Amino acid sequence: MEFAALALPWKITMAVQSAPREQGLPGIDEPANSASDARDAAEAHRLAEARAADSALADGCRHGYITAYEHLYQKHGAKLKSLAVNLLGNRHDAEDAVQETFLKIHRSVANFKGESSFSTWVYRILVNSCHDMRRKKLRRQESPGEELEPAAAHEPQAPKANPGLRLTIERSLTRLSLQQRDVFLLFEVEGFRHSEIAGILAISEAASKNALFQAKKNLRLMLTEPYSAPPTGPRTCP
Amino acid sequence: MIVECQNRNRILRDAEPLELAALETHASTCVACARELTAWSAISAAAREMQKSWESPALWPRIEKALAQQMNESRHFARRWRLRFFAGPWQMAIAVAFLAVLTTSVAWLVLHRGETPIQQDSRLLTDSALHEVERTEAAYMKAIGKLAGQARPRLENPASPLVASYREKLVVIDAAITELRANIEQNHSNTHLRLELAAMYREKKETLEAVVREE
Repeated sequence: MEFAALALPWKITMAVQSAPREQGLPGIDEPANSASDARDAAEAHRLAEARAADSALADGCRHGYITAYEHLYQKHGAKLKSLAVNLLGNRHDAEDAVQETFLKIHRSVANFKGESSFSTWVYRILVNSCHDMRRKKLRRQESPGEELEPAAAHEPQAPKANPGLRLTIERSLTRLSLQQRDVFLLFEVEGFRHSEIAGILAISEAASKNALFQAKKNLRLMLTEPYSAPPTGPRTCP
Repeated sequence: MIVECQNRNRILRDAEPLELAALETHASTCVACARELTAWSAISAAAREMQKSWESPALWPRIEKALAQQMNESRHFARRWRLRFFAGPWQMAIAVAFLAVLTTSVAWLVLHRGETPIQQDSRLLTDSALHEVERTEAAYMKAIGKLAGQARPRLENPASPLVASYREKLVVIDAAITELRANIEQNHSNTHLRLELAAMYREKKETLEAVVREE
């Protein structure tokens, strides 16, 4: 089945990622490529403020102030939960991962050297926590009597424009490599920039761009398969 | 910017805004590229719908409680670590070694309390030895005094030049004895001075005996 045939009923607009991304981590955004000097200055000022706030948050956490952790939760909690649920497949595990992330932040914040932004470091901890939890679940799955839920499956969602395609993508994500899935979720779902993803996953920007391309190319191939086709393990990109 | 179909994958991978815009322009006249871009965009659009949001009012209180517990445990751990640092095996070893040194020192002091520390400086006399020497010396002087009493008539009226020389010798010996005794007054425990004094007394005794024997 051709993808175009599948795509037509979903009324897709030609909106390739050509504009600067609206979302992103405060403190590590790249300066907007604007023609106006005033806009550049305002952007630079905003970035400086965001970096200062990020640094203050890190200091607060380093000193063990609960209010700093609460502020961190208010600022990033929703995004952390969203990323975690897409990585782990259910809200319960996602909330556990977010909690574990906060505990790990407290345990390791003394070692945070500020080489990346504090926010990037927090998301890196979350991604690693999700990977650890997933590995533990896989090990438990090997023991009889327990079954692993597929990631990002059975999560109730508000009605959206393309629920069929979304579900297909969610199902297909499990067949991507770990790095491709992480980059896809961070870039396409959560709206991080490649520079931010590079910091979170400890890879280069070029590697992030390449992983995203490979992920979308693989998904593109998977989406041309009939819906009934069962997953057959990771595929290699042609 | 002119874009061809074979550039499509590279442009999609590099995601440079200008090149993507050029690819979109190219896709308006290329069915294959339009199909690919449509699929690409569809994936991106569907992915944005995967962002999930839900209320979890119990999550922050749970995290806060866990954090507080962990902070408490960290503090307790630090305190326990400090206690262990001061009561660890090597600190115990140091304490045992210190006690051993202390015990040995006290035992040595107790055991050696009665000993005379002569070996520390053989030239110095202890009080008890000094008393004994002075007592012997006094007895020796008394005996020499008796001998001098017997020899005095001969010395006062020397019958021969030899006795006269003995008298001169005794004057020198007495002067030496007086000087040594003066020095000993300054340093009672000086063994060397005591030995010299004893030698002078012996010389005086032998000289007096020689005077008494002289016919």
